[in-house]
Amino acid sequence: MRAFGYTVAGSPAEAVRIAASTPESTFVAGGTDLLNLMRDGAEAHDHLVDVNRLGIDGVAVDSRRLRVGGSARMRQVAEHPRVRREFPVLSEALLASASPQVRNMASIGGNLLQRTRCGYFRDAASACNKRVPGSGCPAITGHNRGHAILGGGDHCIATHPSDLAVALIALDATVHLLGPGGERAVPIADFYLLPGSTPDRETVMRPGELITWVDVPRTALAGRSRYLKLRDRATFEFAVVSVAAALRTSGRVVQDVRLAFGGVGTRPWRDTQVEAALRGRPLTGQAIAEAGRLLVRDAEPYEGNRFKVELVQRALVSILSDLGGLR
Amino acid sequence: MSGLVGQGVARVDGRAKVTGAARYAADNEVAGVLHGFLVMSTIARGEVVEIDTGAALAHPGVVAVYTHADMPRLKLPDFPFNRRFIPMQDTRVHHHGQPVAYVLAQTLEQAQEAANLVKVRYRAEHPVARMADVLDEAFLPEKFRNRPNEAARGDAAAALEQAEVRIDQTYSSPMQHHNPIEPHTTTAVWEDGTLILYESTQGVVFARNAVAFAFGKGRESVRVISPYLGGGFGAKGPTYPHTLLTAAAAQLAGRPVKLVLSRAQMYTSNGHRAEYRHHLRLGATRQGMLTAIVDTSTAQVTRVEENIYNGSDSTLRLYACPNVHVRQLGVRLDLPTSSYMRSPETTAHFGLETAMDELSYELGIDPVELRIRNHTEVDQQSETGQAYAGKQLLECYRAAAEAFGWARRSPRPGVTRDGDEYVGWGMATETHTYGVIPSQVHLAIGPDGRATLRAATQEIGTGTYTVLTQVVAEGLGMPLGHVTTLLGDTAYPEASLSAGSSTMPSVAGPAADAARRARDAVIALAVADPRSPLLGVPAEEVVTENGHLFARGDRDRRDTYRNVVTRHGSAVEVTGRQDNTAGHSFGAVFLEVRIQPRLGRLRVTRVVTAHDLGRVLNRRTARGQVIGGVTWGIGFALMEHTMVDPNTARVVNPNLSTYLVPVCADTPSVEALFVDRSEPDGKLLGVRGFGETPGTGVPAAIGNAIYHAIGRRLRDVPFTPDKLL
Ligand SMILES: Cc1cc2nc3c(=O)[nH]c(=O)nc-3n(C[C@H](O)[C@H](O)[C@H](O)COP(=O)(O)OP(=O)(O)OC[C@H]3O[C@@H](n4cnc5c(N)ncnc54)[C@H](O)[C@@H]3O)c2cc1C
Ligand code: SF4
Repeated sequence: MRAFGYTVAGSPAEAVRIAASTPESTFVAGGTDLLNLMRDGAEAHDHLVDVNRLGIDGVAVDSRRLRVGGSARMRQVAEHPRVRREFPVLSEALLASASPQVRNMASIGGNLLQRTRCGYFRDAASACNKRVPGSGCPAITGHNRGHAILGGGDHCIATHPSDLAVALIALDATVHLLGPGGERAVPIADFYLLPGSTPDRETVMRPGELITWVDVPRTALAGRSRYLKLRDRATFEFAVVSVAAALRTSGRVVQDVRLAFGGVGTRPWRDTQVEAALRGRPLTGQAIAEAGRLLVRDAEPYEGNRFKVELVQRALVSILSDLGGLR
Repeated sequence: MSGLVGQGVARVDGRAKVTGAARYAADNEVAGVLHGFLVMSTIARGEVVEIDTGAALAHPGVVAVYTHADMPRLKLPDFPFNRRFIPMQDTRVHHHGQPVAYVLAQTLEQAQEAANLVKVRYRAEHPVARMADVLDEAFLPEKFRNRPNEAARGDAAAALEQAEVRIDQTYSSPMQHHNPIEPHTTTAVWEDGTLILYESTQGVVFARNAVAFAFGKGRESVRVISPYLGGGFGAKGPTYPHTLLTAAAAQLAGRPVKLVLSRAQMYTSNGHRAEYRHHLRLGATRQGMLTAIVDTSTAQVTRVEENIYNGSDSTLRLYACPNVHVRQLGVRLDLPTSSYMRSPETTAHFGLETAMDELSYELGIDPVELRIRNHTEVDQQSETGQAYAGKQLLECYRAAAEAFGWARRSPRPGVTRDGDEYVGWGMATETHTYGVIPSQVHLAIGPDGRATLRAATQEIGTGTYTVLTQVVAEGLGMPLGHVTTLLGDTAYPEASLSAGSSTMPSVAGPAADAARRARDAVIALAVADPRSPLLGVPAEEVVTENGHLFARGDRDRRDTYRNVVTRHGSAVEVTGRQDNTAGHSFGAVFLEVRIQPRLGRLRVTRVVTAHDLGRVLNRRTARGQVIGGVTWGIGFALMEHTMVDPNTARVVNPNLSTYLVPVCADTPSVEALFVDRSEPDGKLLGVRGFGETPGTGVPAAIGNAIYHAIGRRLRDVPFTPDKLL
């Protein structure tokens, strides 16, 4: 790891200003991902701007929304009583992430911007289009158990690892950004990019932009949400497949439903067609099975991750059956 | 006697370890030390063509960058150096992650960054990385450490042909890594031609011998110091290139050098458990008596080494069977050489114990009953029919089965449900060989009445300090706190490796012998000392307790170790020796799994073990070993897996965030029972080696429980969720 400079910023505006005027700089919050990436040679920065003391670390719920600061800790959000009650999928997704120690350190902004766990990406001596554009994607012919079956292509098939992002997508959250060009808000469904031929670009963020807040609308649907995470060991491990779901039914009929998936897509995955297929229909095993088949209609599995095609459909059945009281 | 041996005495070094007072190898601050960092090859096969060290040398703090052109020529030591080449002696590259340059800098960070700046140009050849691609090239390697790779008794082929019932299956396990928490580390200090190494090693004597040989030095001019290890699991048993290269770098630089391997570097520097395929055929009578075992295994070896570390000992010896043929084949890949890893025999034992379960279903005989029918009291490989002395395996089956409630098990697979989970019960025998390494210890009782034991064996984390302290304190009749044990230094008498389950059977006897001799010597001084109240008491009439010496018949006639030795004027010093014989220890594991097959979810929910380890020296440390063994067994069965890229032969998951090992939530509490009876052949204390036995049966027991739960027979570990769907 190269030596780097370090400045603690005191406000969002100051953080953005320092970053804009310091070449090869980036923000650091908990450092739980960034420092590993720098040590492994997957990223290099000459200067880090500490964003832990910007006053954007609150968690607040009012009548319309939940507002979470970009520097709020994962633990703070996960354990907030109103988040637990009114946005259970967020709390469950966070509590299923990493370990208590990491959650004490790690921020919400950092969580949304963590990089893929693809082993080739994190190994500076391997080829990888995401790390070195044009160098190739060894995962396609190599180890790809952890990789995506949806949204990939010849350039990159890495999954985005955040559980929180999956949950936020199911709840129609909005990400607020502050950058040299001012403030803007991006619906989280539009926040992450497909890899296409530029897998090094993962989000719509522009250089020097800071995540200040994440807003989640407070709806009845959010209160009826859950997170299901399947993985290779009991805790402290990323998802093989995960599903965030929110469901509102009247009688047996689906009034509204939100679904998002982790571990299967090159970005936290939402497919509105799948939701549309369920909306207005009675929630039956058959309806869920059809929705599941729709979800994987364009799946492109590889040798190591073929099982995800089946597993994600079963995960969908399981979570909707639970939420809909089918068992 | 104070009856200390056998008690669950708390670790004497526990406080030092948890408070950070214990100095591990890399904790040593050596004046003027330079920090080393290795530059590793980024091809798996080929030649180094050119190394450009310019940018690295220009980096702040960098003192030197050595390449093969600079390194002194070293002599290739035999085992314990288990590679057949020393890196940086020539341009050849044998595997990914092989040292090609050695950077020295003032700080670790400077050395690390400079290592990134070294540019190496290679002529690369295409590596072979996958065993499956070259299985047809499997061959029978030469003997390794005097052990042949083929063994037979009777006529296994004919017996298999004629068997009433046959099982013919293939089992497999992937490459796995030891992953001790403390990384490998060496600090090399040359002083007037002698070399001191602060090392994390499971064998200071082994390491010293290998290093002395490589540098063409007498053993007396090398000293290796390793008082504590943060785990080893076999990875620190052999001596590895980084140790030799660090000593060489320190010699070239004329300054002490400290090297700590990075976690990723440990995946190519210190061996691993070789990928392994196991074709196993069992023949049996309808009554379940084994008549034939044909066992052909294939393990990864390299182009330059053909050592097989995962022995088929359990197939050869565990059950009574007149006709056995074992062949251990190798397949050459462009990977680092493998090595011993945590209970090496687990690999073959997993196949055997799974096959036994399959046979039990084939025959409709309970798996415990099947094992009892094939139980043997004689060593199956001994031509003279040598009987095992005091083998308590049958008692282990009985005790563990009863504690587990095995009698309530309905054998039918896939019928026991609890909510949305299927419940399965499985069992397996546990066994491992243990070695014995001739060992001596030095014991001194000073004028302060305190005893100090010295031995060049190690504390690998299992409790060696504690148990030896107990043995000596009990033997002398002293309080535990009056005995200090010093380990891990070649300045002490040569003693066992901390590997091959050999420490306790090798060193406990000498420690007990030393205590007896020292006690006798002090008693002899006392009864001959006109100033002692014990003057004239017959030596055999003197008892020792709690640091005191008494006349048996008249407890008012008493003296103390302290007074006797003080009056004597100098310490009483003795050397303890006691040869022992190698052998086996045994046990049984019973466990429960709960599975949601729809989602591929599995939990191990209950584990009961019973072990026969001869005499239990410390119930607490023995139990710790069982918990550790079971935990690693769960890792072996459910998740551990080193992934090698099929095209480049480079490890893809060289870190603990992607190489999964069990966490607490994967590991239920373990009920560990012991059949605590002295081993008649285990001299003096009746101990057996036990380190590697617990856990050997766990992978098969989990697979057997999965079959019982959902009726699916899994034969390839790890049993990841996709295999349960
Ligand atoms: C062992 C381990 C296991 C894990 N398991 C999981 C898991 O199961 N599920 C899961 O979801 N995650 C998991 N994680 C990832 C963890 O959640 C992330 O590392 C963490 O959330 C990152 O937050 P941080 O504050 O430490 O970010 P940092 O490491 O400080 O930063 C990460 C990135 O975000 C940028 N950044 C940080 N804050 C801002 C901001 N406000 N605005 C703009 N950019 C910003 C940084 O520049 C950097 O690029 C795991 C991590 C570890 C180490
Ligand atoms: S999947 Fe993406 S991140 Fe992984 S190696 Fe390919 S390009 Fe790199």
